[in-house]
Amino acid sequence: MRIVVAEDLYLLRDGMVRLLEAYGHQVVATATTGTETLQALLRHRPDVAVVDVRMPPTQSDEGLRAALAARRELPGLPVLILSQYVEQLYARELLADGSGGIGYFLKDSVFDADQFIDALERVAAGGTAMDPAVIAKLLSSGSSNRRLEQLTERERSVLSLMAEGLSNHAIGQRLFLSDGAISKYTTSMFGKLGITDDDNNNRRVLAVLAYLNNP
Amino acid sequence: MRHLGSWLARVGVGFVRACVVTVVSLLVPAVWAAAVALGIWWGAGNPWSWVAPFVLVCVGTLALSRPVCRMVRFLVARWTATVIPSGYRQTPQVTQLSTGYWWNGFSYERTSRDALLDQRWRVRWQDPANWRDLRFTAVAPLTAGVVASLPPAGVAAAALGLSQPAPSARLVGAFGLVVAFVSAPYAWRFVEPVAVRFLRPTPAMALADRVDELTAQRADATVAQAAEIRRIERDLHDGAQARLVSLGLSLATAEKLMETDPVQARALMREARAGATASLTELRDLVRGINPPVLNDRGLVDAVRALALDSPLEADVSADLRLRLDPPIESALYFGVAELLTNAVKHAQATRARISISRDTTTIVIDVEDDGRGGARERADGGLAGLRRRLAVFDGTVEITSPAGGPTLVRMMVPCESL
Repeated sequence: MRIVVAEDLYLLRDGMVRLLEAYGHQVVATATTGTETLQALLRHRPDVAVVDVRMPPTQSDEGLRAALAARRELPGLPVLILSQYVEQLYARELLADGSGGIGYFLKDSVFDADQFIDALERVAAGGTAMDPAVIAKLLSSGSSNRRLEQLTERERSVLSLMAEGLSNHAIGQRLFLSDGAISKYTTSMFGKLGITDDDNNNRRVLAVLAYLNNP
Repeated sequence: MRHLGSWLARVGVGFVRACVVTVVSLLVPAVWAAAVALGIWWGAGNPWSWVAPFVLVCVGTLALSRPVCRMVRFLVARWTATVIPSGYRQTPQVTQLSTGYWWNGFSYERTSRDALLDQRWRVRWQDPANWRDLRFTAVAPLTAGVVASLPPAGVAAAALGLSQPAPSARLVGAFGLVVAFVSAPYAWRFVEPVAVRFLRPTPAMALADRVDELTAQRADATVAQAAEIRRIERDLHDGAQARLVSLGLSLATAEKLMETDPVQARALMREARAGATASLTELRDLVRGINPPVLNDRGLVDAVRALALDSPLEADVSADLRLRLDPPIESALYFGVAELLTNAVKHAQATRARISISRDTTTIVIDVEDDGRGGARERADGGLAGLRRRLAVFDGTVEITSPAGGPTLVRMMVPCESL
């Protein structure tokens, strides 16, 4: 895949580039500031971009703003946001347009390189990939709490893995259950929450996230 | 008839009050008069004839000035409900040191009684209020005293004049009686404006008080800051630093075992990775406690919104603008809201909360309301007291309304420059 990496710290940028190249991907451009990031995204139109939230000059949420601006120009441009902190507020902003192709992870998710690359590929394919920490927060926020009371423990764990962006098959592998069992849980879960079940995995994940994102 | 009755009552009450004001305000002039009389009585040529009256005047004036002011303040508060703050210096606590001696803020004394006595005299002697009290005792007889003495003087004139056979004297007496009757309901009232003007704390006293207040706040702030820095240092030392050391150890061992025992080396690598993740988590929590990222990125309103999202309560945030304040104030207010939301969950067992942030021309107002069981109390070492101290640094205030059974409303207010 053609990838743009936006990260201001040299060590991390370098490590990220090496990791991606080790997996056979091509880094077409790197950026170290918010404005550079926006330019690189619009010029190269990468298959997926890996963007850090906090960058110069203001050391605030430059990267996030650049990603959101680029996606306004090019709807659905796949962007994976990496940050030292995951904030529900930012997750909700990223998910607000509901078009998918969004990832939001803690930086240490890179430690598990296989899973990280897997998430990157999901985002590039127009899916979503959310850090478990983000999903845990979305699930436990006050309004969600009340609406999810009717779910069983097992259904909740299926829901949170689905919200992270995993397919039924991947969820089954994580929970050591068969695909058939998972689809049984998802059917009952969608019924209880009143979300329409969709055959397309990406659309289904987006529906779940939209449900959680709706305060 | 009833009108006449109520008017007579007012005349009676006014006459008594006028007499009281006259007596109180003429106490010090009476001492002076006594001293002059003493000097005349001793006659000239005797050195005592001027030394003793002089000493009497000085000591009498100094000793009487404060009681006279206290009395006037009491009378004004009692009769007109106008409370005039006295502004006298407060005596600080005396503390026993490890040596067994007592420190009273000025000197070391052997016993607490000596320390208290010494302190009382020093505070009393250095109090800037003394000058104000002296000024009032000089002004009062010439203003409130003169006016208040009209009814008693009129009655005295009537008593003297009407007992004389001469018609002119009787006329003067009758006139005195009329003056006394007409002025009685009003004459004493002049003491109020005079007291308000001359007995309130002077700018110098207000300044001295403010300096005391700021000194106390500075001490509080430095102590809190030092404790905070110690906590951060300890957390870093016991957490991330220790973990990084063990991480380096694991990696060094893995490097050694690469050739001989790749399985074991791989296990160590996995361990190192887990250690890195754990130390990152710790560092994140630490940084959140120092300066939350959203606060840095977006400012107070969005940071509070993020806080509300992360809270297990159903919390609504209404903020009427995207205001940016100075970072220290934002930080204090943010941690204040965080503290209150935590309390609402932990102590009040609330399910909903409402946070509103508004600003008028001179004040930022943040209301945090929950539907919990109320009964929030401020303890000396509790979170609410800490919040009050944190905001006091910016002259901010905290109002807590928390009846038993709820709901609890806490209002934080911080003054700010008008836009």
